[in-house]
Amino acid sequence: MENVLEGISLALNFNALAGILLGIVLGQILGSIPGLTAAMAVALLVPFSFYFDPWVGIPMMLAMFKGSLFGSSIPAILLRTPGTPAAAATVIDGNPLARRGKGGKAMHTVLFASVFGDSFSDIVLIFGAGALAAVAIRFGPSEYAILVFFALLSLISLHRGSAWKGIAAISAGVLLACIGLDPITGAPRLTFGNAELFDGIGLIPMLIGFLAISEVFRQLEQPVRLLGERALAFSSRREDNRLSGKERLSLLPTLLRSSAIGTATGALPGLGSTVAAFIAYNEARRTAAKPEQFGKGSLHGIAAPEAANNAVGGANLIPLLAFGIPGDVAAALILGALLIQGITPGPVAFRDNPAPIYAIFVAMLLANLVNYLVGLGFIPLAKKMVSLPKRLLFPAVLVLASAGAYAMRGSLFDVQLMFVFGLVGWLMAKYRFPSVLLLIGFILTPILERSIRQTLILVEAADGWFAFVASRPVLMILLGVLAILTAIVVRQRLMMKRYGLPKGPA
Amino acid sequence: MKRRGLLRWTLAVLAVTGALLPAGCAREGGSGEYPSKPVTIVVPYAPGGGGDTFTRAVAAQAADILGVKVFVENRTGGGGTIGVGSVARAAADGYTLAFVSTSPVVMAPNFLDVPYDPLEDFTYLARFVVSVHPVLVGGESPFDSFPAVLEFARANPGRLRWSTAGINGAPHVATLAAFRQEGVEATFVPMQGSSEVLAGLLGGTIDLGVISDYSGALAAGDVRVLAEIGPEPIPGLPAVPTYEQLGYPLAPAIFFGLAGPAELPRDVVARWDDAIRTITASAAFSDIAERLNGNVAYLGHEEFERHVRADIAAARRTLRTLGSGD
Repeated sequence: MENVLEGISLALNFNALAGILLGIVLGQILGSIPGLTAAMAVALLVPFSFYFDPWVGIPMMLAMFKGSLFGSSIPAILLRTPGTPAAAATVIDGNPLARRGKGGKAMHTVLFASVFGDSFSDIVLIFGAGALAAVAIRFGPSEYAILVFFALLSLISLHRGSAWKGIAAISAGVLLACIGLDPITGAPRLTFGNAELFDGIGLIPMLIGFLAISEVFRQLEQPVRLLGERALAFSSRREDNRLSGKERLSLLPTLLRSSAIGTATGALPGLGSTVAAFIAYNEARRTAAKPEQFGKGSLHGIAAPEAANNAVGGANLIPLLAFGIPGDVAAALILGALLIQGITPGPVAFRDNPAPIYAIFVAMLLANLVNYLVGLGFIPLAKKMVSLPKRLLFPAVLVLASAGAYAMRGSLFDVQLMFVFGLVGWLMAKYRFPSVLLLIGFILTPILERSIRQTLILVEAADGWFAFVASRPVLMILLGVLAILTAIVVRQRLMMKRYGLPKGPA
Repeated sequence: MKRRGLLRWTLAVLAVTGALLPAGCAREGGSGEYPSKPVTIVVPYAPGGGGDTFTRAVAAQAADILGVKVFVENRTGGGGTIGVGSVARAAADGYTLAFVSTSPVVMAPNFLDVPYDPLEDFTYLARFVVSVHPVLVGGESPFDSFPAVLEFARANPGRLRWSTAGINGAPHVATLAAFRQEGVEATFVPMQGSSEVLAGLLGGTIDLGVISDYSGALAAGDVRVLAEIGPEPIPGLPAVPTYEQLGYPLAPAIFFGLAGPAELPRDVVARWDDAIRTITASAAFSDIAERLNGNVAYLGHEEFERHVRADIAAARRTLRTLGSGD
């Protein structure tokens, strides 16, 4: 208790608060610039963590991360250009809502959901890190393979059109993800001798191409006289520019479910916030009272991915504080900063010198509050910035998108790729192929492929399949759950056939 | 106290603002002494690992010494070969440098078609650290020594599961060579990055891991150290045998250093060599090195270049006799 109080007093000083404010403001700005990922923004602060006390430097980095996840959703909503990959799922409902003049409402939903998700996972981190980490550490390649396979199966239901177009899109995504060095042997695959392709196709040029550039191509089809119009009109009705208390309340179940999904995803290193956002979006739609509103500007469709991707941020620290294992790049940067400060993350830190860790916890909660307040100021600014005629705004998007694709690896090749994907995305939309499924196939395939192939290697090192499964209790539980779920679905279908009940949402 | 705090903040805000301006904006007249504009150090890995954190520490101190901004840019891909390769093709003016380490320079060219020749395409400026890469087992592992591991693996071919942070990196190749010499057949489970390996050790997915980022788990007793792959013992753990002591064919001292494109001007080389010597001699840097599990090991330009050449030749020779690589 003494340590907790000391932690609070450490966190509540001028330097720490100034660090949080600076981190949030810079994070929101950098996050809204496409191509600068949250982790890259945090990396900029590493040198400062050398000079400041840990309860100043580390919260500053965490604040930067939180701010950038909120910031990245703003261009996703207004310009269909996610600032970071984590905001890709936010485009699906955020942009349609903005086009109906309710950009203000969309951004307020994002802000509320982001801060909710952040606070949720921070609280889980503070009170339940040890327990959650003890379960998560039992997840090896075989458990990941089942989880990701399951996610891929359920995400296919995001598409409601022709089945063969859906299969074609997801297969294309899987195939594109196979480009690059083979994850097991290290041999180049489908690179045609091009060293730029050794590391595979970058997610950022792909996302920006499919989401933003394809939209620019679509605008080119519009009659010239429309180009003088404003790209986005903002309704002046007060109701369209805020999130009412009633709406907030109605979002609560979605927010809780999505934050839980994000926290669980974050506790498992390697899955990441983009995956969490898509899963939460799909879950929100599956359980929605009015699923037909999804894709047209549903508030639930905006809140779900935002709560989930922010929740991943705090949860990524769970394996770090429990075992010293960073959950993602941002957590790895924080690990480096902690080590330089002489704090070795893990149970030992709580035993030997817990005050700085508690101070960091307090600062994280404070950062959520600051994120909300600064976000309230950022929203009107963002509105002003996009209130331009189309003929000015879309060329600006083109420049911004090119810079974003270039910035990730400093590669012009990525810019070329982005334009190719833009063209493909435009054609896909024209012929009603779901590009979202292509993106999902692309995002999930590397984890799926690697974990399946690792599992096969591990099975070979064990006494066959049976011994392997028997040695992994978590795998047995997951397989059991999968079997029960399959049985339920099959039974439902059989009942439907027998009694001719109306088909529910597939 | 209060005033110092304010000064630090002013510096912090200025530095962040500076870091956000593109490097090109600060271009000043081309003439005059090096450096006259910001320098970029390319780290060929994602931010956050040991090499990246060390480079950021070096860059922060070098900026003070050289009086210009020193940016760190992460250009990832191909196990470090893409970032390093991009610097090989950069202008030889000293404004684009690379963080180099054993894996992309000494090991990768034996396995991959890399976009550079490690002997011809670089000027090796100076080495600052030799990194520690211990052989680890989980805290509850039945193995209490490296010989015990070997004994189990010999009695049960293919049953020992092990991994490293990257395929064909120095820890992978050196351990593979050690196993060959011992007549051990083990199962290598390819993983990406040291955090996956560490999680695998703790979760019981693998039995043995060779990684450099492990401090938290070691302090908590979640892992134990059985051996070190380099030639030097681990600081604080003198009883742990090294691959050199065990007589294995490859015991690479995994170096962290800076390099630039071939034929860098003399004054550039001298400036950086001096800067690295000053940095590595500082108490602040030794503190950082201790906390990040590295041994401060300054090596000047000429000696570093000789060292790299010797490492490359030794690795090629050994790999040829082992029948891997080309």
